[in-house]
Amino acid sequence: MLFYLLKRIGLAVVIVVVAVVLLYSMIHIVPGDPASVILGPRATPEMKQELYELMGLDRPFVVQVVSFLGKVARGDLGMDFFSQRPVAQIVFKQLDETLVLVLASIGWAMLLGIPLGCYSAVFRNTFSDKLVGFFSIGVIAVPSFVVALYSLLLFAVTLKWLPAIGAGEPGQYLDQLQHLILPAFAIGLGWVGYIARLVRASMLEVLNENHIRRARAFGLPEHMIVFQYALKLAILPTITLLGTGIGRLISSAVFAEIVFARPGIGKLIFDSVVSRNYPLVMGAVLVSTVLFVLSTTISDSVNAMLDPRVRERL
Amino acid sequence: MSTPNMQFSKIRLSRRSFLKASAASAGWLMLPGLGMHPSWAQDIRILRVRDYGDPQSLDPGIASNLYEENVNAAVHNKLIAYKPGTKWAWQLEAAQSIEQTDPTHIKFVLKPGITFTNGFGEMTAEDVKFSYERIIDPELKSPIKGDWATLESVDVTDKYSGVIVLSKPFQALWMTTLPYMGGNIVSKKATLAAGGKFSAMPPCFSGPYVIKEREPKQRTILARNPEWKGEPAGFDEIHIFPIDDEKTAEMGFEAGDLDYTRISMSSYKNLKKKPPENSVVEKYPSLYYVWLGMNMEHPKLSDERVRRAVQYAVDIPSILEAAYDGVADPATGFVPPGLVGHRPDTLVPFKADFAKAKQLLTEAGYPDGIDLDLEVRNKAVYIAAGQVIQAVAAQAGIRMTMNLHDSGSFWSLGDESKGDRWKKLQLVLNRFSSAPDPHYAAQWFTKEQVGVWNWERFKNPEYNQLYEKALAEADKDKRDQMYRRMQELMEASGAYRFITHEAVPVIYTNRIVPALRPDGMPLLRYFTTA
Repeated sequence: MLFYLLKRIGLAVVIVVVAVVLLYSMIHIVPGDPASVILGPRATPEMKQELYELMGLDRPFVVQVVSFLGKVARGDLGMDFFSQRPVAQIVFKQLDETLVLVLASIGWAMLLGIPLGCYSAVFRNTFSDKLVGFFSIGVIAVPSFVVALYSLLLFAVTLKWLPAIGAGEPGQYLDQLQHLILPAFAIGLGWVGYIARLVRASMLEVLNENHIRRARAFGLPEHMIVFQYALKLAILPTITLLGTGIGRLISSAVFAEIVFARPGIGKLIFDSVVSRNYPLVMGAVLVSTVLFVLSTTISDSVNAMLDPRVRERL
Repeated sequence: MSTPNMQFSKIRLSRRSFLKASAASAGWLMLPGLGMHPSWAQDIRILRVRDYGDPQSLDPGIASNLYEENVNAAVHNKLIAYKPGTKWAWQLEAAQSIEQTDPTHIKFVLKPGITFTNGFGEMTAEDVKFSYERIIDPELKSPIKGDWATLESVDVTDKYSGVIVLSKPFQALWMTTLPYMGGNIVSKKATLAAGGKFSAMPPCFSGPYVIKEREPKQRTILARNPEWKGEPAGFDEIHIFPIDDEKTAEMGFEAGDLDYTRISMSSYKNLKKKPPENSVVEKYPSLYYVWLGMNMEHPKLSDERVRRAVQYAVDIPSILEAAYDGVADPATGFVPPGLVGHRPDTLVPFKADFAKAKQLLTEAGYPDGIDLDLEVRNKAVYIAAGQVIQAVAAQAGIRMTMNLHDSGSFWSLGDESKGDRWKKLQLVLNRFSSAPDPHYAAQWFTKEQVGVWNWERFKNPEYNQLYEKALAEADKDKRDQMYRRMQELMEASGAYRFITHEAVPVIYTNRIVPALRPDGMPLLRYFTTA
C-alpha cells in the first residue's frame, strides 16, 4: 500500500508540472495584450513596458516557466501587481468560497442521491423506482446554469425567499447559508441524479451477492443488510466518481459564480484569463489543478485500500 | 428478496415515509430563507449599488477606470465636480471659488475646514498642488497624465488659495480634468508617508464617505465620514458590488438585493413597460461611441472607393433594431448630442444604399463583390451588431467573415507593438468610452495614435491641426465647428462608419433619489433617500 501511495504521489507531481507547462504555453500562444486590457487606452508605452517587466513577460519562455516552478516550490505564487497583493492570498480567499460551494453542492447531492439510489435498488422495478429513474435522468440532462437561472428567477426574483447575488455578510453564518442555498442547489441537482443512478446500479449488483443472501438467511435486519453491508461496497464507484468529479464541479461553479455574482476560484480564473492577468491565471489554475489531482489521488487511494486489485493495476 | 413495503427492525421504510422525509429535508434547507432576510432586506440606511468592475487601484493618481472613480469621487474631494442632472455642468466642491483669470491661469480658493481623516489635518492649497503636479510627474507614471498635459505648475498663494498655471490653453480642463479623475485631491502628508503612492486602501479620506471595508471581487463598503462637515452623507453605508453581467444585476435588483444598477439595453423596453414594484426605470444618453473601422493600409481597403462601398453597405437602423433593441440612437461621429462638436448629420445616410455600394465596388475593380474579415468582441450586443452588418453587407456583394475575440485578444488587434496582427486587420467593430468634452474622443484619431489606438491608420494633417487648435480655442462656437469638421474628415476618408452612442438604461428603487451624470453614471456621494 505504501509503495502504491508513493507511486500515486509521484504521478500527481508529474501531472501538476505538465499541467503548468502546458498552461504556460497556452497563455503565451493565445494572442492578447494584458497591458492594453488592464491599463486601458490611457496607458503610455512606458507604463506598458513596466507592466511587462513586472509580470516577467520580457524574459524568455523557459526562464518564465522555471522561475514560476521554483517560486511555487518555495510556496510563493507571485504577486498580483495591480492589487499589490500576493496571488496566494487572493486565490486562497476565493478558493474558500468555491470549496464551500462545491462541498455544499456535493453534500446535499449525496444526502439525497444515496438514499434515493438505495430506495430504487430495494424497490426495483416498482413505480417509485421508475419515478426516481425518470427524475435522475431528468436532472442529469439539465445543465447546471439552466437550473441556476430558473431557480434564481423562481426563488429569488419571483418568490423573494432567497437572495440572488453575493456570498453573504462575512461572519454572519445564517446569511451566508441563505446565499449558498441557490448556487448549491443549482450545482448539486445534476449530481443527485448521477449518484442515485450509480448507487442503484451498484446496490443491485451487491444485493445479489452471496454474502448478502447469507446475511438474509441468518435473519439480519434489512436496514443492517442495506446500509451496513451492501452500501459499504456499493458506495465505492461513487467515491471514485466524486474524486474525478471535482474538476467538473469547479467548472459548474464558474456558471453559478457568474449567475449569482459570487466570488470564487472559477470566476477568478475566468476574469483573469479575459484580462490576461497571467500571475493570477497561473496561481489559480495551479491551485485548482492541485485540488483536482489531490482529490483523485485520495479517491484512488481509498479505492486501493478497500480493493487490493486496484493497487496492482497502477 | 425485496418487497415494496419493507419492514426494518428500527426504521420503517416505505414510499410514504421516504417522501415525508424528503419533504422535511427540503423544508429544512429552505427554512432559513423564509421570512428572515438579514442582509438583503430593504434597509434604507444602506445603499446597495452595482458597478461593472472591481476597483484595483484607489490612488486617484493611478486609477483610470470609471468604477475606481466612482469610489474615489465619494471619498475624496475635487475643486469642482460634475453637477447631477440632465445637462453637463460643474459645481463647486472643495473650492469656495474658482475662476479662469486668463487662458493659462486658473485661480482657486479652498473652503476652509475640510479635513483629512486619520489625523492628517486640514486640506490646504499645498495638497492641491501636490495632487495635480504628481500626475504629471514621470516618476508616478500616471495613466491620466494626458488630462493634465498642459499643466505647468500649481502656485500656492496662501493656505487656501492657489493658481493653476498652464503652459498653453486647455479648454477640456473644465469638463474632463477638474471634475473627473484628475481632479481628486489627496493629502500630501499622508501620500508621502505611504511612499508616494498607494494602491488598495488610501491612507486617509476627505469626502463624505470613507472606505470601511474592501472584499476584492466581492464588495466595497463605504461608511459615513465622521469628520465630514459638509452636506451630510445620504446613507450610513454604501455597498458597491462588482457585477460584470448586467442581466445578473437585473435579477439582483428584482430580488431586492440592489437599490440601483445599470440594466441591459435589451431589458429596457420590458422593464420600462412593466417595472418591478417600487422601482423607476430611466434611460440616459451615453458618451460611448461605436463604429465600424477600416484599416486604410490593408491592400483590400487602400482604395477609398472600397471603403466608401462598405460605408454604404452598412444599414444603421437594422443594427440599432437588432442589436440595441431600438433603444439607442444613431451616431453622427464621436461626439454625442448635447456636447460641443456634435454633428447634426452624416455624409453617408444611415440607411444602406446597396446600388451605390455596388457601383463603388465595380469602379474599384470588384464587380463580383469582395471578401473581407470583420473583427468583433465576443459580447452578445457586438456579435448581434456584427451579424447584422455581415448579413446586410452581403446584399451589396461584400462578403464578411466574422472573427470573435475575447477582450484580451481584441484590444491588441491594431497595436503595432504587439506584432504584425495590425497588418491583417481589415474591418473592426469598435467601441470607445468618452468624457464630456470632444477633446477626449478626438485624441485617439491623430497621426500620433496610428498603430496605438488609431487602428484605421487615419492620417490627416488638417485633422491634426484642428485638434491642436481646438484644444486652445475658448470660443464655444468655433470649437464646435472645429470638432464637426474633424469628424467630417474622418467620415470622408471612408474609414469610419459611425453606428451609435448606445444608451444607459438604469433602474432604482423609489426609496432613493439617485444623483446621476447626464450620461447615467452614478455620483454616489450625492445619492439620498427619497
